[in-house]
Amino acid sequence: MTDRKTSDSDGFGSTGRGGITRRDFLKAGATVAAAQTLGLGSPSAWAAGDAVRIGVLNPSTGTYAELGRNQTRGAEMAAAEINARGGVLGRKLDLIVTDTASKTGLAVSKAHQLVKQHGAHFLQGTVSSAVSEAIEQASREMGVLFVDSGGHATPVTGKQCTWSTFRVCTTTYMLAAGIAETLMQKYGKRWYFLTPNYAFGLTEQAAFERILKAHGGTVLGAALAPLGTTDFSAYLIQAQAAKPDCLIILQAGDDLVHALTQVNQFGLQKKFGVAGGMMELEVLQALPAAARVGDWSFEWWWDQPNVPEVKSFVERYRKRNGGKYPTARSWFGYVATHAIAQAADEAKSLDSVKVSRALAGLTLPVDVGLQPAKLQFRASDHQLMSGIFAGGVKAGGHYPDLFQVEKYEPGASIAQSATEKGCHMTYPS
Amino acid sequence: MSATQSVNRATNPGNAGGESAANRRLAVPAIIWVALLTVPVWFPWLGGYNLLATRALTLGLAAMGLNLLLGTSGALSFGQAAFFGLGGYAAGETLMHLAPSTPLAILMGIVVGGLAAGLLGPIAVRLRGIYFSMITIAFGQAFYFIVVNWNGFTGGEDGLLGFNRQPIDLGNFALKLDSVQYYYLVLLCFAVVAGLIALLLRSPLGHAFIAVRENERRLNFLGVGARNLLWIAFTLSGMIGGLAGALYALLNNFISPAALHWTLSGDFVMMCVLGGMRSFWGPLLGAIVYVLAENFLSSYTDNWMTALGIMFILIVLFFPKGLLGMLRTQVKS
Repeated sequence: MTDRKTSDSDGFGSTGRGGITRRDFLKAGATVAAAQTLGLGSPSAWAAGDAVRIGVLNPSTGTYAELGRNQTRGAEMAAAEINARGGVLGRKLDLIVTDTASKTGLAVSKAHQLVKQHGAHFLQGTVSSAVSEAIEQASREMGVLFVDSGGHATPVTGKQCTWSTFRVCTTTYMLAAGIAETLMQKYGKRWYFLTPNYAFGLTEQAAFERILKAHGGTVLGAALAPLGTTDFSAYLIQAQAAKPDCLIILQAGDDLVHALTQVNQFGLQKKFGVAGGMMELEVLQALPAAARVGDWSFEWWWDQPNVPEVKSFVERYRKRNGGKYPTARSWFGYVATHAIAQAADEAKSLDSVKVSRALAGLTLPVDVGLQPAKLQFRASDHQLMSGIFAGGVKAGGHYPDLFQVEKYEPGASIAQSATEKGCHMTYPS
Repeated sequence: MSATQSVNRATNPGNAGGESAANRRLAVPAIIWVALLTVPVWFPWLGGYNLLATRALTLGLAAMGLNLLLGTSGALSFGQAAFFGLGGYAAGETLMHLAPSTPLAILMGIVVGGLAAGLLGPIAVRLRGIYFSMITIAFGQAFYFIVVNWNGFTGGEDGLLGFNRQPIDLGNFALKLDSVQYYYLVLLCFAVVAGLIALLLRSPLGHAFIAVRENERRLNFLGVGARNLLWIAFTLSGMIGGLAGALYALLNNFISPAALHWTLSGDFVMMCVLGGMRSFWGPLLGAIVYVLAENFLSSYTDNWMTALGIMFILIVLFFPKGLLGMLRTQVKS
């Protein structure tokens, strides 16, 4: 991978950040744009041109819409807090939110739009791993800092790692490592996998297998289901025939909802353990009560009795969002925005390279980190050392009290090192 | 631009006017080319950016290729994205495994797209109407699943990463291919293809394509094999699709299986119909409208698909000749 020069050499001043005339023109020309401006237009003490702008690239349509919206809600809450206490570098923080529909081509185009047209200084967002990887590349070309809030594929902070990209959510390896040993103790060491056939699932399965084999366990087999599978019965029959101690389900989002609904219809949870890597509050909420089973990893959980800051965070979040509880996704968005703001303040600059250097190695304050361990963006690969909340689904629980955290595993103890992941961090000179 | 003129004559018989009409027919393509050539000057000023313009041009190129089947020969193909995506993957894999050369990557896109279409064509052209559409969807989906499942080579569902368009070395100076230069490279490819299509449509072969659309049975009675003609059109359309796909992959430095999915084929059909599939410039106009709508509407509302859908329905209902057909009627009256 060769580093290419940023493409701002196109020589047209109006594509840059100070495009006041063009912005004015837009406002005058497009009534839609005017309506949008009015919609945002709460009177503020800051001049509009002075704002620090973060472009937020989350899907609000398509398969990952709900996850994307929660990331945006978290980011908006962070921006409101930052502005309430004086903004970034004394300037107002503006979020420019746009829909990527989880389409890579559209997302890359939107990233350019945010930077070149709206003058975004930084980018954050994404749910789909494919989009994260594409934006990572596009943002490096533009020389703009990008914080991947929710795309898990290991290469983002592994082989593809680059000075301009940071990640809040964990890697697929950390998702597996956070719960694997618990599962071996609880159910036994003969596992069968139900894996979505793309990098997220495959790398997670590889991580589980590696840990299992290191402890002398056996892999009985794996059923690979394409992304977007709705009927898992054929795969579940194979799983049942293998008679494992534990069925590891690695699907996410709607796929996981469908898989667990059918696990329950087959009554598999009564025959062997049902468990997996990544569970989300959104998924548990979408499941019928009887299908809420198993042991899982959460990347963040709203009920942490030992961290008082979490309680206040949950209350503030609920007040803003009509009583909804924050999910891991809300927290991803929240952390990404706060981290960018904090790094910019420390760097005393909006220059992406300087802010990146400040963000590398930055430790989040507890009221942003909101986990028992102190969270740091590791300098070697720009991965946040976020922990894993392992535990089981609460039988007969009601929203939002659907999960019992049994063990908190700090990120630093389960993350692979940068060298193991194949990351060689370089900054532009 | 006399080529375009004769296309108009061919597609709109009885439209031959006086001298002023002829001037107008010369003026329109001239205005279009000047507008296209100066995009990096005026487009950012209107709130656009080069990548968006390049994206519209690339998709427009694929739609123009599709229109050789759809508008000219009258065969509704839902498989254009297969050749588009294959071209994209071919370009990416070329840069990663063969040689770091942008022209070679583009060439491989054309070859792979054309080869796939050329090989599958004989099967598809045996069918007509809805069956032709169905089998082209099937081809597309077959390639889609091959790419999704071949994780080791294509990167599977996550897409192909890790290639970059390479500077083109022109002896004493090198093209860096930044966003402006890349726009002009795409425009050059577009101009060559547009010119060739215009020449083709003026040639006997182009007239034969139209004859397939207008009265296939009569053509067969005259001893001209409609199947072979459609096969040629299918292959050309695949080559252009592959070229557009390669340019698209190099634009984003990324290609994912979504570029092969039949829904993208549907988008290409929509662009042709939206702009006007019986006009030379229709598919490009449709692609521009589609890309702009997708990009700007989705910044304001989550329901942008609805807006696009309504626009599509209105155009199909009231202006079956597409936006360009509508404009032409306005000018004439």
